[in-house]
Amino acid sequence: MIAVWGLTWKELIRKRVTLMTVTMTMLFWVAYWFLAGAIAGGEVHVVASFSLLEHFARSAMILTLGFFFAAFAVAFLAIFSSVAAVTGEAEAGVLQSVLARPIHRWQWYMGRWFGFVSYVALYGTLLFASLHLICWMHTGVLFSFEVLIQSLGLFLSIIPLLVSLTMIGSCYISPLGNGIWMTMLYGMGWLGNMIDRFMESGRLQISGLETLETLTGLIKLAMPADAVQQRMLSELFSIRELSGFYDLNRELSLFSINGAASNSFLLYCLFYTFILLAGGLLILRRKDF
Amino acid sequence: MIRNAIETNQLTKDYGDGRGCSGVTLTIREGEAFGFLGPNGAGKSTIVKMLTGLIQPTSGKAQIYGHASGTIEARRRLGYLPELFRYPDWLTGEEVLAFHAKLCELDRSQAKRRIQQLLDEVGIGARGRDRLKGYSKGMQQRLGLACALLADPDIVFLDEPASALDPVGRYEVRELLVRLRGRGKTIFLNSHLLEDVEQLCDKVALLNNGQVLAEGSVADVLREQSNWLLRVSGYTPLAADRIRHMLGVNAVVSVTEAGEGMSWITLELDNDEQIGLVNYLLIELGLTLYEVGKTKSRLDEWFRLAVTGLEHRGERL
Repeated sequence: MIAVWGLTWKELIRKRVTLMTVTMTMLFWVAYWFLAGAIAGGEVHVVASFSLLEHFARSAMILTLGFFFAAFAVAFLAIFSSVAAVTGEAEAGVLQSVLARPIHRWQWYMGRWFGFVSYVALYGTLLFASLHLICWMHTGVLFSFEVLIQSLGLFLSIIPLLVSLTMIGSCYISPLGNGIWMTMLYGMGWLGNMIDRFMESGRLQISGLETLETLTGLIKLAMPADAVQQRMLSELFSIRELSGFYDLNRELSLFSINGAASNSFLLYCLFYTFILLAGGLLILRRKDF
Repeated sequence: MIRNAIETNQLTKDYGDGRGCSGVTLTIREGEAFGFLGPNGAGKSTIVKMLTGLIQPTSGKAQIYGHASGTIEARRRLGYLPELFRYPDWLTGEEVLAFHAKLCELDRSQAKRRIQQLLDEVGIGARGRDRLKGYSKGMQQRLGLACALLADPDIVFLDEPASALDPVGRYEVRELLVRLRGRGKTIFLNSHLLEDVEQLCDKVALLNNGQVLAEGSVADVLREQSNWLLRVSGYTPLAADRIRHMLGVNAVVSVTEAGEGMSWITLELDNDEQIGLVNYLLIELGLTLYEVGKTKSRLDEWFRLAVTGLEHRGERL
C-alpha cells in the first residue's frame, strides 16, 4: 500500500499536476493580495478609524472570497487527480500487471486513495494557511488556534468524500465521462446550496418552493461539499456566537453564510464517505480486468 | 516428483455476449513449456487472466501449484506479461521494476541486484535510467518481460511476448525463454508466432470459440503432420496422379509454379520413410528433383488445418 501511495505522489508530481497547481495558485495569490488590500482599505493593521467589528467584517469578506476560490481549487484537484484511478489505468493497460502481483486489491485501492487524499490535503492546508496569512497581513485579524484547527478540519473533510466519490465513479466510467459527471455533480451541489442560501435569506420568492427544497436537499445529500464549506466558514466566523449581536451576513451580501451543515449532516458526510470508500473496495474486489 | 504447475477443471467464463470460454480442462506439469494457440478472439487471454487472478471464473476451478488461482499464494508463484499493457511513461525503466519489486516484497538490495541483472538480460541495459516515454514498443515489451521475471517466478505467463520485436529481438527473447526452461521454469506461452512455439514448447493446446479443440505434445502434433516440400522440374499432372495412386488421395497437398519450368510440390506423408518411395516415383516419371525438405512452419500448418472451415467468433482466417 505504501508503494502505491508513493507512486501516486510521484505521478501527481511528474505529470505536472503540481507544477500547474502551484502556478495557478501563485497567480491567485497575486490577485488575492490586491483584492484583500482593496477590501481592507489600504490599512495594514487595526487603526482607530475602523471599529473592531468592521475589521472583523472586512477580514470575513476577504476570507470568504478566498475560500470561494479555494473550495473550487481543492475540489477540482481532488476530482481530476483521481478521475482515471481505475478504468483509466485498466484502459491504459497499467493495472493488469499490477493486480497480478501478490497484493490484495484493497491495498492497491487504499494506496491510491491515501495518495490522492494526502496530496490534496497538503495542498488544501497550504492554501488555507496562505489565505489566512494574506488576510492577516492586510487586516491584522488573527483567529484563535482552536478555531483555525476546527475550520481547517472541516475544510479538508470534503477531500476524502470527493476522492471516494470520484474513485467509485472511475470503477465504471471512463476518465472523461467521470470527470464530466463529477464536475457537473459538484456544480449542482454548489448551485443547490446557493439556491438554499437565497431561500433562507428570503431573497428568492418563487412558487413551488417545496419541490425546489426537496430537489436541493437531494442534491445536497449527493454532493454535500458546499454545505460543509458553509459550516467551515460559519465556525471560522463564529456565526452562531454572533447571532443576535452582529449580522455578518448583511456585510457579506452575496457571499452570506447560509445552509451550513448541521452536526447530524456532518455525521452523514462521514458515513457517506465511508460507504463510498467501502463500495469502491467491494466493486474493485469483484471487477474483471 | 514432478508436480502440476497449472490445473484447470471445467474452467468457464461467461461474459453473457457469447465471448469467454467454457469447460476448459488443462494440466501443465512443472517445468513444461506450454503453447496456447488459437485464432484471435478464441478466449486465450481470458483463460490467462483467470489464471493470473484478473478475471473471476463463472464456474470451474483453476490451481497454480496447488493454490486456487487469484489467491495471493498463487500470484506469488507467477510472473505475467499481459498482451496489451503500458507502464506509466513518466517513470524510468528502473523505477517501474523497483515499484514492482516492492509489490513482490523483494528486499532493497536483492531488488537492486535483480533489476540490473534483468535489464541487461532483456537488452535494455543503461537505458533503464531513461523515462518510458522515450522507449520504442519493442523496448516496452522487453521491460514487460523483465517485469514478469522480476520475482524469479516458478511459472511465467507470456501473452504475445515477441509481438512488437524485430527479428533480432525475437531471437533474443526466444533464447531467454529457452534459458528459463533450462532452469526448470514453467512457461505458459500465448503466441501467434508458431515457429517460436514449435521451437520452445513441449506441449500445445488449440482453442477455438472458448473451447479446447486439440491438445498434445508438440512432438505428437508434428508427427501427425509430416509435410514435405519438393522442388522439381518436368512436372505434369500425371505425376500427381501417380503419387496419389501410390500414397493415397490426400498425399498431394498443393502444387505451385516456381518459375523456369520448376514446380513446388507439397506432400503430406504418413511417415518419413515414404519420401524414398516418392523419390523413386519422381525418377521413374522422368522428373528432376532439385530440393527436398520438411516444411518449415509445421505447427503453423497444423493450426491452419485445425481451424480452417470451422466457425469462429473472432477474425476470419
